[in-house]
Amino acid sequence: MISTPSDDSGPRRFEEVEHTADRALHIHGRDLPELFVNAAAGMNSLMLSSDCGGVGTVEKTIELEAMDAESLLVAWLSELAFWAETASLIFSRFDIMELSPTRLRTVIRGDQLTTIEKHVKAVTFHNLAIRRTPEGLSVTVVFDV
Amino acid sequence: MVHIHDLCRIDAYLYEIPTSWRADMRVPARFYADEALLAGIRGDRSLEQLINTATLPGVVNHVLAMPDMHQGYGFPIGGVVATALPDGVISPGGVGYDINCGVRLLAGQLTAEEIHPYLDDVASALYANCPSGVGKGGPVKLKPGELDDVMQRGARWAVKRGFGTEEDLERTEENGCLPGADAAKVSPRARDRGRDQVGTLGAGNHFIEVDVVERLVDEPVGRRIGLFAGQIVVQIHCGSRGLGHQVCTDYVNLFQRAIRKYAIELPDRELVCAPLSSPEGRDYLAAMKAAANYAFANRQVLAAHIRRSFEHSLAGKVKHHHLFQIYDIAHNMAKVESHFVGGRSIEVCVHRKGATRAFGPGSEVLPPIYRDIGQPVLVPGSMGTSSWVLVGTETSMARTFGSTCHGAGRTMSRHQAKRSVQGPALRRELEAGGIRVRAGSMAGLAEEAPAAYKDVDRVVEVVHAAGIARKVAQLRPLAVIKG
Repeated sequence: MISTPSDDSGPRRFEEVEHTADRALHIHGRDLPELFVNAAAGMNSLMLSSDCGGVGTVEKTIELEAMDAESLLVAWLSELAFWAETASLIFSRFDIMELSPTRLRTVIRGDQLTTIEKHVKAVTFHNLAIRRTPEGLSVTVVFDV
Repeated sequence: MVHIHDLCRIDAYLYEIPTSWRADMRVPARFYADEALLAGIRGDRSLEQLINTATLPGVVNHVLAMPDMHQGYGFPIGGVVATALPDGVISPGGVGYDINCGVRLLAGQLTAEEIHPYLDDVASALYANCPSGVGKGGPVKLKPGELDDVMQRGARWAVKRGFGTEEDLERTEENGCLPGADAAKVSPRARDRGRDQVGTLGAGNHFIEVDVVERLVDEPVGRRIGLFAGQIVVQIHCGSRGLGHQVCTDYVNLFQRAIRKYAIELPDRELVCAPLSSPEGRDYLAAMKAAANYAFANRQVLAAHIRRSFEHSLAGKVKHHHLFQIYDIAHNMAKVESHFVGGRSIEVCVHRKGATRAFGPGSEVLPPIYRDIGQPVLVPGSMGTSSWVLVGTETSMARTFGSTCHGAGRTMSRHQAKRSVQGPALRRELEAGGIRVRAGSMAGLAEEAPAAYKDVDRVVEVVHAAGIARKVAQLRPLAVIKG
């Protein structure tokens, strides 16, 4: 089970970068699972004004397939954004059972919140490329808000 | 990076980057700007994005950007790109996630002087009756299967349901319904997102605004459209909500495979596309039209909410509270149109992403009431600043595929705007200037601060001076309602 950390201690997970029209996050992770979890945490930070501190009362199993890791990342974040918009659900705990560049299977846990400040309209493919770094992996994702 | 010496100046407000700039450009890239706007354009990546669009298969003449251009994702905002049928491509990113984001303008016989004592009540009624739909659905509940009707029939569905009149349809681009929509090409997920959002405003840069006509720049045309100085008008700015966003998401995803199938190489994955003649291209166009119709229906319902708000807050207190429609335009759309390319009229798919159709006088697609003067063009400014009504021109038909600007264009990221501007302070500043503000989010308000946008007066002056739209009326805000 990987939870999105509730404080800023430890290695940086994501930071916002400037984008004129929308919001963009530069996301880091030691490996693909951590990158995906940190991307979810980053997107949650765009939707909430502060850490929700949820206990995980709602559970879902998500299975996604895509043609490559970048497409899978977009599908993953789009899935989470969909639940936020349609059911006010924010997920912050993830039990990743399988993750390859083309397939994800995970149990996600979260809560229904009334404090979602902004919804993500879409996760874009703009300049999307997962890159190897000395610390592991990084990617910049642009969100249409 | 494009340097000033790389630009060819075609005339006072038109610049060109020739195909020699980059080997994969199929056509030149042109953009409209004055010298002040040019400095801003060179400060972000919008020129690079415009150049990228010049690599699309089937692109004709030149790709264009309007003076409100700014960095987007894939296409720049303010971009106009035409591709030739049958095999030129259609690109969902060239329309945008908010399919048929657009503007509707309502007007009446009410004056600013008459509404003044009741403006707070009107603003509050609009805020109460025009839901943002963020976090919860709107009040319009669809019966099973009715969402298909919304997508197939657009604003006509709404009129049949009792929201507005047939006269509204005549004064809406495409009569509020694009033919060729196919709701079957819209995914279950898009339907889930859109089902409860009909008649909702959304958030971000969407708004309802009560304005006064500050002045008529072209008095005869202004009067023909139904405007007069001192008149109260109302703008609606919104689009296809979650349904449209998901349609774009679905097809951008689908087209990731399509570009491999059709051997299309692109500098940015967000530019993914498919030939218009392909099954994928046809499916996207049909789904885009369904989402566009949803947006027309959405603005039709919101217009009804606005009329009801005026009635509730003003009936019995002012002589005239009724609102009629001036026009409704789209500024995120792809349309198959006939334009002159190489001296002959051909069918092209015109992508307008943050750009407005501006057909000139005599255009057969315009309603009879406007055919001799040109299409009304509605250009909202940023919060607290002017908005403009213009008309399309023959020059726009000749030079920009019948297109012009759409708004002010951002200069500052939302992130930076939130750091620089405090929502409550901005609200106080607007109210001190006589503008009532009703907003669901102070952070959202800060993101939309006027300081984050270009000067819309400057943008409109460029299109007017360049001849690709003609100024008719300037509007000044009195009340702003945001989700």
